[in-house]
Amino acid sequence: MTMATQPRAAGLRGWLLDPSPASTWQARAQRGYLGWVGFRANPIAMTGFVIVAALLLAAAFAPWITATDGLTPNLGARLLPPSAEHWLGTDQLGRDIFDRIVWGSRITLYIVILVSIIVAPIGLAVGTIAGYAGGWVDAVLMRIVDIFLAFPRLILALAFVAALGAGIENAVLAIALTTWSPYARIARAEVLTIRKSDFIVAAEAQGASTFRIIRRHVVPLCLASVIVRLTLDMAGIILTAAGLGFLGLGAQPPLPEWGAMISTGRQFLLDQWWVPTAPGAAIFLVSLGFCLLGDGLRDVLDPKSASA
Amino acid sequence: MTPEKPLVEVEDLHVSFRTPHGRVEAVRGVSFTLGRERLGIVGESGSGKSQTGRAILGLTARNGRIDAKRMTFDGIDILKASPRTLRKIRGARISMIMQDPRFSLNPVVKVGEQIAEAYAIHAKASRRVSRRRALEMLETVQIRDPEKVFHLYPHQVSGGMGQRVMIAMMLIPEPDVLIADEPTSALDVTVQMQVLALLDDMVRDRGMGLVLISHDLHLVASFCDRVIVMYGGRIMEVLEAGRLHEAQHPYTRGLLECLPSLDRRQEMLPVLDRDPAWMTEARR
Amino acid sequence: MIEIENLSITFGEGASAVHAVRNVSFSVAEGESYGLVGESGSGKSTILRAIARINPTWSGTIRVNGRTLSSKRSKAEARAMQMVFQDPYGALHPRHTVDAILREPLEIHGLRDRDARILGALRDVGLGPEFRFRYPHQISGGQRQRIAVARALILEPEILLLDEPTSALDVSVQAEILNLLKRLQQDRGLTYLMVSHNLAVVAHLCGRVAVMNRGRMVEELTEETLRAHAPAEPYTAQLMSATEGYDREAVRGYRTFD
Repeated sequence: MTMATQPRAAGLRGWLLDPSPASTWQARAQRGYLGWVGFRANPIAMTGFVIVAALLLAAAFAPWITATDGLTPNLGARLLPPSAEHWLGTDQLGRDIFDRIVWGSRITLYIVILVSIIVAPIGLAVGTIAGYAGGWVDAVLMRIVDIFLAFPRLILALAFVAALGAGIENAVLAIALTTWSPYARIARAEVLTIRKSDFIVAAEAQGASTFRIIRRHVVPLCLASVIVRLTLDMAGIILTAAGLGFLGLGAQPPLPEWGAMISTGRQFLLDQWWVPTAPGAAIFLVSLGFCLLGDGLRDVLDPKSASA
Repeated sequence: MTPEKPLVEVEDLHVSFRTPHGRVEAVRGVSFTLGRERLGIVGESGSGKSQTGRAILGLTARNGRIDAKRMTFDGIDILKASPRTLRKIRGARISMIMQDPRFSLNPVVKVGEQIAEAYAIHAKASRRVSRRRALEMLETVQIRDPEKVFHLYPHQVSGGMGQRVMIAMMLIPEPDVLIADEPTSALDVTVQMQVLALLDDMVRDRGMGLVLISHDLHLVASFCDRVIVMYGGRIMEVLEAGRLHEAQHPYTRGLLECLPSLDRRQEMLPVLDRDPAWMTEARR
Repeated sequence: MIEIENLSITFGEGASAVHAVRNVSFSVAEGESYGLVGESGSGKSTILRAIARINPTWSGTIRVNGRTLSSKRSKAEARAMQMVFQDPYGALHPRHTVDAILREPLEIHGLRDRDARILGALRDVGLGPEFRFRYPHQISGGQRQRIAVARALILEPEILLLDEPTSALDVSVQAEILNLLKRLQQDRGLTYLMVSHNLAVVAHLCGRVAVMNRGRMVEELTEETLRAHAPAEPYTAQLMSATEGYDREAVRGYRTFD
């Protein structure tokens, strides 16, 4: 058998490529590095990565990138077209649209992160327990999943928000309620494939508790699918949030939520096209970025498409 | 020694694959000929034996590259042949059976239909004629109830029967050469013998050339006329089957010695000492 | 050490019931190496998996160290009896380093000096400390099987259940693993119950062998009788003939035994 041999590189790169790591931390760092190298080689994935990174940076450095807070009206500068002073023009209250979009990225990020934090753990927990336990536990949990799967996302979100009142947090809860069930299915499917594997049997033979097996053996193998699905879902989450915002049920004015910006700006579409178009383009770009990132992550994390 | 022209001639075959870790060479300079005889290729995993068999049929994976000084079948240059020519040869004149019929048979088509299809493609015959030929073939491979087995799906047949179905399917177009890649490794030992006996009869009756690829040196030596021993993509030694005990190369000897024997008791088994020189030397 | 009495295991019910094991009895003494040999469907692996409680339903009695086994595994039993599986590629968790794989049994049973035990276990199976933080996909099949053996032994059990431990390995690697298993047994006085389809492998490691066919025990042989090619039963004789290499005439005489 021939193996590609390279001379030992020095420094950080050498540490990351060392064939005999000296600690768990080094081993994990090596795996991450190799994953990153594979990811970096994929131009589509990198495009997605750049877009998402831009979103994160814009949200983080908003106070330094923007000239105004995007909230204070300036009626003397209403509906100005894009120029050197206002890169994306101003809206009907004279607020700089570029600034509003940058501040709005924080809202978008907030919604996306909150939904992810709720949805992924619950979906994982339900799916892994159902898949590992089997029997009636599996049946009951999956019927609950089916019930939630049956609801169309936006309609349930509307109903929920209408009942609880408008606002970002309620919108987030509504979106989370309709988003978690597919993750339970994905996790359960992964668990079923590995359920009878020898390494699980070996852990059972050593006296490992069910909780330990699920936590240390099952969940790490489900994580990849869930992460990929989550990243691909983010586009949908952003669009749903924007939809709710468009209907006035998400973030309330004067918050620069992108969907709400489109809603209030749509009457100006013909003459001052930049007012609704800019936030629309932002939504499109960020959704696209997450989709491409998710695709790239799948290529790196999916063991079937990876090579050793 | 066969006085007639060899069926397959391979000279200096190289097969390499493009991987994220660089170029990996699976076969590095293999040369041999095959007449109307039974040739065995033996090696451990990674020796390049399977890739050699696939290269003859042009079945190397898409990221692989085949290079050779010469590769001919019955005078036809298969190295430079067009895909169309290769497709005509494959199945009709050179056939291949693989290790596990569960994975080499189409799981959603009845086995009888698959055999019939193999006939219909190359003989361009009608459905009725193909089905009749398929049933005849099932009888020839000693399946006891051909009518019943015809309508079974691959998951419903046992390992041994599945291999017989594979053999029926691959021999129905009456090829000149059969390449068998570990055809019995997934089978029980008595079933292995029965399948080999079947191959023995069919190859003998039809005057075919057979390449038997396996990791089992004793099995191959007891069945074939000549044995090629491969390691690290190269040929270490070529032996006449009856002369296994006269093997010269240290790798072959090492392989023979590290096998536990039923006849004598050994405290510890001798362990194969891999000489790095084997990876670089050319066959003498 | 291990006593099996009238063991029967059936899968499924009614017309589609499969009688995997039919009324099998044997016993393994302490420190002995006992083999179960047969072809697929003989029930040999089923017996092993029942003892390991992977398939927890059987009728009959299984006694280990004097205690009758129930269908639930206890932690104490885990320390006394461990198993090595056939497929080195499925036996190790793909996302755990070797260190994590060996540490886990120690954590489950609350043993101390974990680093020392892990390094010791690696040494016992002939692997150096450079393997400690590698992932399974970075090591070869033979090395993986060594890790599987190390994992089984790190709890210092008295009994090792071996399910075709070398069937998936290359011949040269098989020799190394067989030598390792033999040495470990001699050093630690372990009791082995080994399942295999390969008579030569079983004869090399085991003092006594039970031949199984279709769930029944055909006969029990000693290593000497096996090596003398003097079985009492025709099924065993046919099995032995099949392992001697291809012989067209012999194959003609093969028949199915029920």
